[in-house]
Amino acid sequence: MPEAKATSESQSQPGASSVSYEGVSKRYGSSGALAVDDLTLEVPAGEICVLVGPSGCGKTTAMRMVNRTVEMTAGDIRIGGESVRDKDPPQLRREIGYVIQQIGLFPHRTIAENIGAVPQLLGWKKDRTQARTTELLELIGLDPELGERYPAQLSGGQQQRVGVARALAADPLVMLMDEPFGAIDPISRERLQNEFLRLQAQVRKTVLFVTHDIDEAIKMGDRIAIMKEGGRVEQYATPAEVLMAPATEFVEDFVGADRALKRLALMRVSDIDLWEAPLAHVGQASAEVRAKLAEPDVEVPYPLLVDSERRPLGWLSQRDLRSETVPAKPDSPLGPLLDRDDIMRDALADLLQGEAQYAAVVDHEGRIDGVLSIEIISEFLKSPEAKTEEHSAVERPHG
Amino acid sequence: MIAAPVLASFDGAFEFIFTPQTSNVTGGKGVGGIDQVLELALTQLEVTVMALALALVIALPAGLYFGHRGAGEFVALGLGNAGRAVPELALIALMAAVIGVGGLNLTVALAVLGIPPILTNTFVGIRQVDRASVEAARGLGMTEFEIVRKVEAPMAIQSIFTGIRTATINIVATATIAPLAGVATLGEFILGENVYGPDGVLAGAILVALLALALEFSLAGLQRVLTSKGLKLRPA
Amino acid sequence: MASPVLLAAAGQVGEGFIQERSSDTLPCQAKPSHLFCWDWASENIDRYGTPALQQLELVLISVVLGFVVAFALALLAHRRRWLRPPLLAGTGILYAIPSIAFFLLLLPLTGRSRETAIIALSAYTLQIIYRNVTVGLDNVPESAKDSARGMGMTNRQILWRVELPLATPEIIGGLRIATVSTIAIATLAVFAGAGGLGTQILGEGNLHFPTTILIAGGIVVAMAFAFDAVLLTIQYFATPWRRAVSS
Repeated sequence: MPEAKATSESQSQPGASSVSYEGVSKRYGSSGALAVDDLTLEVPAGEICVLVGPSGCGKTTAMRMVNRTVEMTAGDIRIGGESVRDKDPPQLRREIGYVIQQIGLFPHRTIAENIGAVPQLLGWKKDRTQARTTELLELIGLDPELGERYPAQLSGGQQQRVGVARALAADPLVMLMDEPFGAIDPISRERLQNEFLRLQAQVRKTVLFVTHDIDEAIKMGDRIAIMKEGGRVEQYATPAEVLMAPATEFVEDFVGADRALKRLALMRVSDIDLWEAPLAHVGQASAEVRAKLAEPDVEVPYPLLVDSERRPLGWLSQRDLRSETVPAKPDSPLGPLLDRDDIMRDALADLLQGEAQYAAVVDHEGRIDGVLSIEIISEFLKSPEAKTEEHSAVERPHG
Repeated sequence: MIAAPVLASFDGAFEFIFTPQTSNVTGGKGVGGIDQVLELALTQLEVTVMALALALVIALPAGLYFGHRGAGEFVALGLGNAGRAVPELALIALMAAVIGVGGLNLTVALAVLGIPPILTNTFVGIRQVDRASVEAARGLGMTEFEIVRKVEAPMAIQSIFTGIRTATINIVATATIAPLAGVATLGEFILGENVYGPDGVLAGAILVALLALALEFSLAGLQRVLTSKGLKLRPA
Repeated sequence: MASPVLLAAAGQVGEGFIQERSSDTLPCQAKPSHLFCWDWASENIDRYGTPALQQLELVLISVVLGFVVAFALALLAHRRRWLRPPLLAGTGILYAIPSIAFFLLLLPLTGRSRETAIIALSAYTLQIIYRNVTVGLDNVPESAKDSARGMGMTNRQILWRVELPLATPEIIGGLRIATVSTIAIATLAVFAGAGGLGTQILGEGNLHFPTTILIAGGIVVAMAFAFDAVLLTIQYFATPWRRAVSS
């Protein structure tokens, strides 16, 4: 769907280009304070880079220097190797998608005309624009019929999605998004975030995303740049790195004291080594099970009753094992049942809620995979292996 | 009672409009009739349209430019205020006395009257356009000129048209007393009671009112046509 | 002194001047080229007093009357949206009709009198004031009305204690525009037989005397600005929470 662009540079992917800041600064007035201070960072093509920080840290200014709605006072920005100064600003902006917080749809034009604004500026033929508009409306999950309505007839969430579609219309190489989901209620915001991530998985644009919300940054970003007042970047790394190894005290404070918990949002249950519980089948001799329990390296001191397909049925107690054979109905209920693909944070929540120490983890067919406990989670967070976990941008879990 | 003489006056006036008659005041001179009426009405219309065009050419670009830039608020608003305070009678009389009579002078004087409302309303209208739409337009890659043409002006159209309508009303009203400046409009009837008689005066008043209303309705219709449907909707 | 021949060629001077009469011996008002005759002005300044007061009186009565009617109409249409298009159109028609025509159309009914002028002038102010009151009320933030309703205020209380105070800048703005415009238009009251400074401009048929036109016109403009300033001050003090926004 994104048109393949012939590129000679390794910096570009089909439909996207890298963005690099080279010593970029912005000073207001001849002796004013620096809004952005000597910023150098590279956003690889097809990735989402989130600029995050408190108000006044220069994140929005930094983003807007890419499409020159703010002019830099020093340094250079390159898109796919080409300097942004090489083109006339209006020309440059027609190749960059721009989404702002207040959306800014044109109330006097229909939704279709709004989306087709940049194609029209670029001189596309009418049918091509129409086809693209329909395509985009479907992509953002809106009925193509809505194209004939006016912005005033749409809800806030719908308008926000149209804003994103409008930015994507001319298939830009780079997208700039300035707190695009800021003005929306938290429930709709989460939905929009998820939808955008799904969209990104398909279109793979290079995105510069500004927010003041660290949780949003962690969720959305392939890389995060944490900025401080005065326009300096304190750390530029993947969300996992920022959470596990904050570079400075500022980053630590900004991320928050609960960063360990935040890390759990980035992992799935399948990412860590689970413990194993001794398995028992109905009708099996109890003596066998007791023998397994007695083994020295047993990890979970309770046997798990499973059926012939290795699906868990419940936990066995000492009383259950007093009879000759393993009974069909175990004493203790199964308790929380987790899936390998569950997000670790949610798994922990289930464990705590179920007041259970151990929870059985099953695979896609419901067969036992291992056992998770709170102890495993906390040990993992402390261990050195945890620090080498990496996840690709597209496969990151989202709720 | 009151009704009878009133009806009689209006009756006389209508007759004046349609049939030429010998003036019952000066005696012997042919006055009234549809031909004379049309001639004077056309002159008034002509003068109004020319003056309005001149005022538009000057005030509309200025209002759009300064409104877009956000500069010159004091001048734009002050001019609007000052324009309202000038008595048209004095303006026409002064013009006639000092600069001289004639169509060109009159048109310029009338255009001067029309500039303040257009300038002020255009300026205010553009200033009140939602900043987010303007910023989005700029970010999409429109040039400043395109932003004014495609976004700000269409969104400010109601305000701009209000200014144009007010200007037209002012110009038409003042064009009525144009005979004082040597240009024969419908005011000829109104100001020349000693020639056209009370019937003529009343006829003139009726005709002027009709002309003004016709222009106002036309402009109102034009406004409705030019205003985007999206702007008239109430938010969902 | 410019050569008499040149002046004659420019057509600015009548026969009499070529006969080398000193300009001092002719009275100022006989020379159409003179813009302002100070002597004449100082001698004749009293004749403007009464007409000015007449005009002022007409304006005050008309604006007050117009305000009362327009305000009532706006309140009526405030919660009855269906009334708005007809009222806007109706007041619009009255606004569009040139005042001279209005005066003369009323003559058969009310004769050459102050009443004629007042009716026509009030009619002119209706749309301005009606529109400003309506817009002012519409622009009251929903949140203010919501909390008032939540407190237990009745609709009438909300109107008088919340909506109207918040709409005050817009309303006074409308009054300003109406007043300034009416002062200027009232110059034409002479056509309604109601006096006013228009009498001085039209004079005894002598339209080519700039001095009197300037004085009369100047007084009108001065009165207009004076009232504008007064109303602006009132607007400023009436809304301590929001310093005057231009109308």
